Formats: sequence, structure tokens, C-alpha cells
Amino acid sequence: MKGLFKSKPKTPAEIVRLTRDLLVYVDRTPADARDPKREEKMLELSKLIRDLKSILYGNSEAEPVAEACAQLTQEFFKENTLRLIINCLPKLNLETRKDATQVVANLQRQQVQSRLIACDYLEANIDLMDTLIGGYENPDMALHYGTMLRECIRHQSVARYVLESEHMKKFFDFIQLPNFDIAADAGATFKELLTRHKSTVAEFLSKNYDWFFAEYNSKLLESPNYITRRQAVKLLGDMLLDRSNAAVMTRYVSSRDNLRILMNLLRESSKSIQIEAFHVFKLFAANRNKPPDIVGILVANRSKLLRLFADFKTEKEDEQFEADKAQVVREIAALEPKEGL
Amino acid sequence: MAASDEDESRNKVQYPLDSRCYEIIDEIGRGASAIVYKAICLPLNSSVVAIKAIDLDQSRTDFDNVRREAKTMSLLSHPNILRAHCFFTVDRSLWVVMPFMSAGSLQSIISSSFPNGLPEPCIAIVLRDTLCALTYLHDQGHLHRDVKAGNILMDLNGSVKLADFGVSASIYESNSNYGLLSAYSPSSLMLTDFAGTPYWMAPEVIHSHVGYSFKADIWSFGITAMELAHGRPPLSHLPPSKSLLMKLTKRFRFSDYDKNSYSQRKKFSKAFKDMVGLCLDQDPSKRPSAEKLLKHSFFRYCKGPEFLVKNVLHGLPTVEQRFRQVKLMKSLSLNKSDEGDEDGSGNSSGSGDQDSNIIKQRRISGWNFNVEDFELNPVFPTEQENDDSNVVKQVRFGGESIISGKERGDSSGSIASDSSASDRVSDLSDDHARQNVTGSSKTDAANDDQVQGGGNMDWETVLKSLLFLKKSLEDQWNEVMNMIDIVKGKKSGIAPQMRLDEPSLIQAIENLKLQLENEKKKNQAMELELEFLKLQCANGL
Repeated sequence: MKGLFKSKPKTPAEIVRLTRDLLVYVDRTPADARDPKREEKMLELSKLIRDLKSILYGNSEAEPVAEACAQLTQEFFKENTLRLIINCLPKLNLETRKDATQVVANLQRQQVQSRLIACDYLEANIDLMDTLIGGYENPDMALHYGTMLRECIRHQSVARYVLESEHMKKFFDFIQLPNFDIAADAGATFKELLTRHKSTVAEFLSKNYDWFFAEYNSKLLESPNYITRRQAVKLLGDMLLDRSNAAVMTRYVSSRDNLRILMNLLRESSKSIQIEAFHVFKLFAANRNKPPDIVGILVANRSKLLRLFADFKTEKEDEQFEADKAQVVREIAALEPKEGL
Repeated sequence: MAASDEDESRNKVQYPLDSRCYEIIDEIGRGASAIVYKAICLPLNSSVVAIKAIDLDQSRTDFDNVRREAKTMSLLSHPNILRAHCFFTVDRSLWVVMPFMSAGSLQSIISSSFPNGLPEPCIAIVLRDTLCALTYLHDQGHLHRDVKAGNILMDLNGSVKLADFGVSASIYESNSNYGLLSAYSPSSLMLTDFAGTPYWMAPEVIHSHVGYSFKADIWSFGITAMELAHGRPPLSHLPPSKSLLMKLTKRFRFSDYDKNSYSQRKKFSKAFKDMVGLCLDQDPSKRPSAEKLLKHSFFRYCKGPEFLVKNVLHGLPTVEQRFRQVKLMKSLSLNKSDEGDEDGSGNSSGSGDQDSNIIKQRRISGWNFNVEDFELNPVFPTEQENDDSNVVKQVRFGGESIISGKERGDSSGSIASDSSASDRVSDLSDDHARQNVTGSSKTDAANDDQVQGGGNMDWETVLKSLLFLKKSLEDQWNEVMNMIDIVKGKKSGIAPQMRLDEPSLIQAIENLKLQLENEKKKNQAMELELEFLKLQCANGL
């Protein structure tokens, strides 16, 4: 490490090229190959990737320099460096994996002549997303690939690809993996996919409404896992309360099955789940055009619901919550059973 | 250095992710929302582990923070950092399975067997290993944020590991939002992200809470050194809740250690005192980095783990015994303030914090380190002039005026000066402290008078500060709303007033939101203090 900064400084582009050369070597050489130089080369590669990181993020002595970052980014995406890094990641040691992940994450935000060239590269190499998502099935790679993935879906076109891919279905299982750290990471990616790019999300939800919410209800909202239920009901609220998803929301709150699930969540003993469930439930109650079967359920459960809301409080005082609750109570109290019930 | 533990992580044993595979043997630590157990892992030859069960249903657990910290923790790999074998959820709890460090925390070792502190050569080993851990963490862009003897654990072979990185900190500390977010900005003081626009921040807020940088860990490290040397941290005779209050008043001024309790004065080497002095520099930028500290002469002739085994671990009661003892002591002492527990939860696989009177030193505004006496003299900020007639000097510090803690105590006896304090004065201040713990008013009249007098003064100061804080919160709120509006405006096609690139704006908003959250939490804490003061006033009048 010591001599590193004293030798003639390499330009950012040179460091990228050297890194790429070594990655090509690592990519071609099987891990068990008996190359006496291998260890040395791996060490050199680790150093180079670390150098890339300190150019992009700065270090204890210096802030990052925009010009150097731009040069690095340009050279990086000129050729297949990103693909090589992603493919070789399992062969690198833990510290280098972390450095590489941070480099890849940072590059997604670097502009060259006010263009995000990382996005152009990914659009042309979109199959890389398949590799990254596949990482959730490999405990050793999940957190690294997951971090990269979340940075890549900052690009709308990339997010659209993932949303429309078959991978979307797998997330319902990833979220419930037994490894908490991996499951939580997948959950964060899932949430990002479903909230970041409003127009894309709205389009996705309308097009895929049936299977998506069937899965969402049965696998997540009715999961035996407390954390899954809590995260799912929170995300559901975030999605439905977003104005861009108004059409989806209207559809969701017209289903008696959905209402039944939300009412069950309202009855949970966990305060956090109850509060989040309320934020979805209020949409059913506030719906101007409630279908008769929804009205029927609400009327049948009127006294129970009113009793529940009577001492339903957030821990901190929350005016908006109180106002919402008052409105929900008014709505329910004023309901008239429709004919035929 | 970085990859030294590589083999361990590559060949790591896969611990089962199912609670039925573990059999809990004993409780070894307990906090407000976490319990630490000693357990055995049945499928792995009944090997012993520590399990920290964190209650996730508590409203103050921010799930996103837990996720980030769990991730960071599972990616750390260093011989001096306690790693987690695995994480999984059991109903509403998160179980963190970790190696069982059978000798427990240094804090618990000290309080059970070394009440006056460890011998210096032992301290050197513990501190060196802790510094190695900090060097690694800082190099990765992480802060520990809770360096203290209670978080340094030892195994029976003398190996030392820094524990409780993250998970607990993010959950149990009110002001812990910064660490991971500021990671990787080289100047990771939060404010540098908004250079030029922090006008909504109150000076004392900037001063007291934003300065979480790598250098804040170094400060805590220095305090830890003193804790190991003296047996307890400076000012530990005051209850934890007072730390906040102390920021707002200069009424309290105690010498940090009561000399009379020592059977004999301890002598420390010049190198040790010098090393600690460097850590406790008022100016963060002057404190050395962890890496630099490792090269300090104090660590030059450091011994190995066998030395700790021989001189510290020999004849020590087990962690379980120590925990039971503490529990017993706690149940015997009535009216124990509940704040102590918050601290205890910070422990992972070692043992609970046994001394609930440990305060968070870094919430005190400033300190003067007295190298000769190897002591810290606290400096407390003040906002208004006291009737103190013998104020010697006044310093400006972060926009507040501070009375240096080095001046002599005044005649009322509410101030105990450092080495020159008379016996009577230190007795009084101790009583005073105790009174604050129990909140009772059964001590003699003289002390009562003191409390009343002080209470009235605090009331005004606190009120002023709270109003100030409220204003600052409102300003921040407006600022955040403005930002959100600007971004929304830009998105929906309305020509934005400013040319700002979106990612950095979003980043800025996220940061602002976090800050606002933090302010809210602080405000709550202040309100609590206010209630407490009101009560004191009411009792006094």
C-alpha cells in the first residue's frame, strides 16, 4: 500500500484499462488454475479497484475531482468493464467485492457531458440485470449484487425492464428468504421498483393488476411472517396513496376480498401493522362509489369497527391521522345498507 | 490488513436460520428492546453462541436502518470486530446470532474485578485491538458511534473484539441517523453536504449533534481509555438523563473523579497520558486518525493476548454469574431510574452494562483534558450569565459562550472544583447527584435549597433553548417543504426556478428529512427534560 501513491501517478483512464486487463485474465482463468502469478495479479486487481473507488469517492485527504471522475466513467463504459466486474465478482475477496460494488454504484450517477452513460451501457447490456437479480439466490453474492441492482434501477428504462421481466414474480419469494439481511435487501429493491418511477409503475400495475395483487395478497399480506406483513402493508399504502396510481387504487378498493384482508390486518395485535393497515382501509371507506358488497361488509361490521377506532391512536400525536380517522368514522356511521342485504 | 480475515469469511460455517436449532441457556444482558442470551446451536455440536433478540415491533425501530445496519454488519470481516453468524426473524424479533465472547465486556470485567481500573499494560492491549477495529471500520467508511468499554468484548483466550457496530446503535440512539449516510464523504461532517446553506441550523444544534465524524469515534475512544484506567468514565456519578440538562446549564460543575474513593493514586505513563490527550482534543480536526494513533509510542511494546489471560481473566466470575449479580443489585436498589436500561441494551454478546449511571460523555459540550492529573474537566455551555462572581474566563465555542470548567468553585458549594475541592464540597455534590437519580427530596435542607435555586434558573434557560429549537425546527420544515415543491414542480413540467440536478436534490431532501426526524427526536427529549424540570420547580416552590 505504501508505495502506491508515491509512484508516478496513473491517469484515471489508465487505471480503468489496467483493471480491465486483469479482469479479462480473472474471467478466463478458472479459480483452481495453477498459475504462480495468479495471487499477485489478484492483489494488483484489488489495489486498482480500490484506486477507482478513491477517485470516485475521494479519500481522507482529498475530495473527488469531477474531471477525473468523468474520465474514469468514460473509459469504464467504453468497453465491457461493467460486465467483467459483475462476472468476476464471485472470484474476488470480500473487501474487493465491497469496493467494486461501491464503484459500480457510484458510476450509475456519473455524468459525462451531462449524459448518464451508464444508462446507455445498461440498455445495450440489459441481460446484466438477470445476473444481478439472480444474486438473491446466492447468499454470498446477494448483498453485493443487490446494492448494484438498486443503483441500476435508478434508470427508468432499466427499472421498466425489470418490472416487465419474469423476475418480478421471484421477488415475492426473495422477500421471505430466511436470511434476514438478504430478504430485507430484496425488500428494499422491490420497494424501489414499485415506487421510484411513477409513470412506469402506474403502467406496470395497470397492465399486471390481476396476477400482481393476487400474489401480493396471498404471499405478502397474508404471510405468516410478521416482518413480511408489516413491510407489505406499508408498501401497499405507499403505492395506493400515490396519485399516479389512482386508477389502480380505485380498482383495489372495490374488491371485497381485499377489504377482508385489510380488516384482518386491522385486527392484528401489532400496533405498527394496525396503523399501516388503517392507511389502506381508509381508502375503502372514503371511496365515493362503494360497491354494494363493500357497503354490506362495512355495515355488518360497523359496531366492531367503530369500537376499534374509538381507542385507536398513534403513539405520537398526529393531526392528519386523527382527521382521517374522524372521517372514516363518519363515513361508516352514515352508511345505509343497500337493498338485498 | 483489510483482507486478513478472508479465510474465515470464505469457509464460514453456515449457522441454521431456524430458532428451533438453538437452545437458550441463560440470559446475559437486557435492554429496553433487546435481550441477549447465551445459547447453544444444537446441529453444530452444541457450540455456544450469543443471541441478541431485538424487538422489531417497537415504534422507534426504523426498519430501513435495521436493514442497512444488518447488511453492513454481515459484510464486515476483521479479527477485532465481532461478526454476526447470521440474522433471522422469529415472530416479531430479529435474532442476531454471534460468537459467544465468554469473558464478557471490559465494562463488566472492570466492575466485577477491577473497580479502580486495569493495569496499564493490559489497557494498552485492549486499546490497540480496539484501534485496529476502528481503523478497519473507518477505512470502510463506517462509524461505530458507540465506542465504550461495554462494547469491547473479550474471549477466554484473550482476544478482544469491538461489538455492537450498528444494529443496536441505530435502534437505541436518538441521534444515530448519520453514520452510514455520511459514509464515504471524506469530510463526513453532515453539514458539509449543505455547505453554504445551513442557515436554519441553530448554532448549539450544529455544535452538539452534527459533529458525528470519524473523529467523534476517536473522542469516545479517549473516554474509553480513561474508563479502563479509572474503572469508570468521567462524570459517571451523574445520572444519564442529566447529560442533556448539563448542556443547557452551567450550574453543575464537578470534578470528574472523586479522589477520596481511591485507596491510592494511580500512576500512568507519560506516553499513555499523551495518547489520551490527543484523542480528547476539543478540536476534532486536531484529533489523530485511528490509523495514526496505532503508531503512537504507547502501543510500541504492546504485549499479546496471553498477557490478558494471565492478568485479567484469571479467576474472573463467569458472564452469567456477573449478570445475575447485577440483576440482584438492581432489584435491591429501589427507585432506580429507568434510563439506565437504554444503555444496557447496547451490549451484545458480552453482558449488560452494569453501571446504569454511565453517561454519554459526548453529549457534553466540551472538556478540558488535564494531562498531569489524567482527568477530564468538563466544560458546559451556558446561555446567560450566572451570578457567579468568580468567573475567570469565557470562551466562545460553536456560537455558545462557555465557562471553562477549570475555574475555581464558588462558595455556594454547588461547584466542585478539580483537585483542590474540599471534602465537604465533593460530598455535597455526590449527594446532589444521588438526589437527581432518585428524584426524591429526602436529603437535608441545605441540599434542597440548592436544587430549588438551580431549578428556577434551569427553567428559564431550558425554555429559551426550547423556543429556539422550535423555531429552528419550523424553519427546517419550511425548507424541506420548499425543496419538495421545487422538485415536484420540476417533474410536472413547471419551469423550475433553479437549475439543480435532480439526484443531488433528492439526496439533499433525503438528508433534510433525516435531519428533521432527528430534530423531532431531540425536541421530544427536550420536552421530557422540560417536564422533569417543571416537576422539580413545582416541588421546589
